[in-house]
Amino acid sequence: MPFWKRRRSEKAPTPRRRGISFGLASDVGRVRTTNQDQVLASLTFLPTPGGPIPLGLFIVADGMGGHAGGATASMRAVEVVAAHIFQELLLPVLHGYPPEAIQDALREAVYEANRRILNEAREEGNDMGTTLTGVLLLGERCYVAHVGDSRLYTHGPEGLRCRTRDHSMVARLLEMGQISAEEARHHPKRNYLYQSVGQQEALEVEISSFPLDCSHLLLCSDGLWGSLTDEEMASVLQSTDDPQEVCERLVERANEAGGEDNISVIVVALPVAQV
Amino acid sequence: MALIKKIGMRREGVPEEEKVPEQPAPPATRRVQGPAEARPAAPATRPVQVEPAAPSTPSAPPSGEARLPTLPIGALLQGRYQIEAILGIGGMSVVYKGRDLRFKNVYRPCAIKEMIDRSPDSQTRTITLKNFEREAALLATLNHPAIPKIYDYFVEGGRIYLVLEFIEGQNLEDILEASPGPLEEEQVVGWAIQICDVLSYLHNHKPEPIVFRDMKPSNVMITPDNRVVLIDFGIARIFEADQKGTMIGTEGYSPPEQYRGVAEPRGDIYALGATLHHLLTKSDPRLETPFTFHERPPSTLNPKVSPQLEAIIMKALEYDARQRWSSAAEMRAALLDLAHLDVAVLQKEAGRPRLQETGERLLWSFNCEEEVRASPLVYNGVVYIGAYDNNLYAVDAESGKFLWKFPTQRGICSSASAWERLIFFGSEDGNVYALNAQSGQLQWTFRTAGPVRSSPRLLDGALCVGSDDQNVYALDLRRGEAFWNYRTWGPVRSSAAAFGGNVYIGSDDGHIYALDVRRGELQWKTRTGQAVVSSPAVFEGMVYVGSWDGHIYCLDARSGWPAWKYRTGNRVTSSPAIRGGRVYVGSSDGNLYCLDARNGRLIWKFEAGTFITSSPQVAGDRVYFGAGNGRIYCLMADSGKEVWSFQTGGPVPGSPAVVEGVVYIGSTDHRLYALQA
Repeated sequence: MPFWKRRRSEKAPTPRRRGISFGLASDVGRVRTTNQDQVLASLTFLPTPGGPIPLGLFIVADGMGGHAGGATASMRAVEVVAAHIFQELLLPVLHGYPPEAIQDALREAVYEANRRILNEAREEGNDMGTTLTGVLLLGERCYVAHVGDSRLYTHGPEGLRCRTRDHSMVARLLEMGQISAEEARHHPKRNYLYQSVGQQEALEVEISSFPLDCSHLLLCSDGLWGSLTDEEMASVLQSTDDPQEVCERLVERANEAGGEDNISVIVVALPVAQV
Repeated sequence: MALIKKIGMRREGVPEEEKVPEQPAPPATRRVQGPAEARPAAPATRPVQVEPAAPSTPSAPPSGEARLPTLPIGALLQGRYQIEAILGIGGMSVVYKGRDLRFKNVYRPCAIKEMIDRSPDSQTRTITLKNFEREAALLATLNHPAIPKIYDYFVEGGRIYLVLEFIEGQNLEDILEASPGPLEEEQVVGWAIQICDVLSYLHNHKPEPIVFRDMKPSNVMITPDNRVVLIDFGIARIFEADQKGTMIGTEGYSPPEQYRGVAEPRGDIYALGATLHHLLTKSDPRLETPFTFHERPPSTLNPKVSPQLEAIIMKALEYDARQRWSSAAEMRAALLDLAHLDVAVLQKEAGRPRLQETGERLLWSFNCEEEVRASPLVYNGVVYIGAYDNNLYAVDAESGKFLWKFPTQRGICSSASAWERLIFFGSEDGNVYALNAQSGQLQWTFRTAGPVRSSPRLLDGALCVGSDDQNVYALDLRRGEAFWNYRTWGPVRSSAAAFGGNVYIGSDDGHIYALDVRRGELQWKTRTGQAVVSSPAVFEGMVYVGSWDGHIYCLDARSGWPAWKYRTGNRVTSSPAIRGGRVYVGSSDGNLYCLDARNGRLIWKFEAGTFITSSPQVAGDRVYFGAGNGRIYCLMADSGKEVWSFQTGGPVPGSPAVVEGVVYIGSTDHRLYALQA
């Protein structure tokens, strides 16, 4: 029998355990009076000749700057980035045109948010800014744009793994071995960033991409990762299959740990075999 | 402590608060809203600068904090110093230009620094005042031409004043800003020697060394006679030591250990290295990720920087203080050695060396009867190559001896591939041939309706090949029967790559296709501006390919969406080679490009000055390719520096095969060459 006939009669790969699903939560915490974080989660499917492929956009932005500035900055960042991504990537594909290069579009989206916030801050006379960690999920890969110290984690067979670098001086000192992880965790200046969206013209957006060889994506602001250890976060991720439930439990745990900052988290459960 | 820090002062019972490493920093990103610092208006000549802000920091408006009123022009201090102008206003101090009226018959200018202590706590104020006095006293004992003299110190109207030597000139930050590009090496080396000299003076101060702690371009004045003077010894810093909102970070020039509160002479050496890096590259370290100098040595940003100076600077910039120059004097000696060399000669050396070897490089060459445009296949000690004389040749790889040839009806530009005892190739006569690799006997042919210029590739147990009849075929290896064909809208001259159950191939219709390897069903196609003749390469779930629209594309293998694209100056026919996370590819604009596979950023490019349709091959730490000028090049893969080149008698459009230290490549001069790699 010709080999192609054999191949055709072969069974399709093992059926997937589940579809993609996600949950999100954003909480003011127990100390602050306002929530300056902003989150966005959006999931759709793109038609392609080979079948529909998932397209997701997930963003966490942690605003900073006095008064209402921080909340304005994080809201604007999420709005501008989402609009840009849909405009430059999704709509052209729906029209049948080739999309912009994904990484260029992500970078440009953050630049645009940066310009918008800078301008607004100048007009209003404040120094607002925001972190931004955005994930574009496409098929079996994700593309990340990142500025500041919100984080993206993946959870898979090897456990919880942080896929972004904090743009803080303390993180750089830690990377260089000048201070220990424990010192970094309690460093009085751990909140100081060397770059953020909306607070300087020159911005180096960290762009990365990796195949989705994991069971979960977890995006969060420092209100979560600053309160819980990796082990604590991983154990909550494993405690239930429902990503919304995971998000709510994570927020609860961070609040139990003091809730000193706003807590935001998005969890995306991916269609791969669970570990 | 202030920026002048005496080592060992902690033992003297300095109050606790001073032990915190107060890090002077421009007001960049801060989480806690601190007092905004306005950038001082920059006069053409700024003798003493206060609180320089990062150049691109948005000019943050004052955050509602009432500024103390400045002295009016003409005001008199101590009945002696008349205020003439404001030179700069910072968060903690104001610097005026004053005139000393005691010298009635001469005009004697001075710089008057007014400290503003906003600390609400009277005890803090007392401590800082005491420290300030001590520092002022220390400065007064210093005597070096590159350190401004202190004339006077007094308190008046509840404010503290310091009267300093007025320094004519411009600081290095302003000089750099005014310069259209990086500063000249010769000039920078001259200044660096002077700076080392004054640092050496401070570091050898007795009984204890003095650490400047704030070496950066804006703190170095260049006088009209090109003399260096260090300014802003930072006495004002005492006052802002523990102010809320003061942050560590973004400084860019300070050594990593300073953030742990360690201040020692080798920290000044690091900061000098950072300053020199900035001057030579015009890349502001305050705007870069902290401590990343080693990722961007000066020559990568300014190729004119000599390797010798780069080595001196990079040693100063070692993260580990023990790896740096042990003293400013040692660094000064190295700089002096360099200054004695002819800078022009050094800069020439920085360019790529032109080594040309011909004699020893050639192992053998083999004559075909027509141009060789195909790429050789080396399989079991035999080189297989097609030529435009219609033949496929088998040549002994070791000796270049003719073994056999197989005639087709037209020219051959398709490259062969091998499987078990068979080799496969296409011909412009429209056939795909399978021959016995040893004897050259025909095993089967597969007829297409147009010339076959695509090279057959073995993918997942099938032979995949394109034809000018617009089809992509998947053939049975043993019999040459088609499992499937997929029709595109143009000739298919690209060769296929496989990944994750898909076949990726380009077409002259301008699309890159992803087809199911088992059934030939379309998974996606992505349009580029023009024909895709280049053959895709797959690496970590991404498809890399060039297009005649001049771009190199990196496509998501699952969706076909471009992750990035890189624009070259002309058609890209060359097929990318991926090695070590880098993409190597040629363009008809005359360059060989080395790009970061993750983001498409240029790592280096090599200018051959003639079209490069050849697909580079990477072997070991080197990259090999042919070019339109008839040369075969060997470059260092990490830097793009030329190792050797070899001249053939005609353009080299084909690609090399590199096997066991030998480069095999054909040329339009009808020859197949074997060269020592």
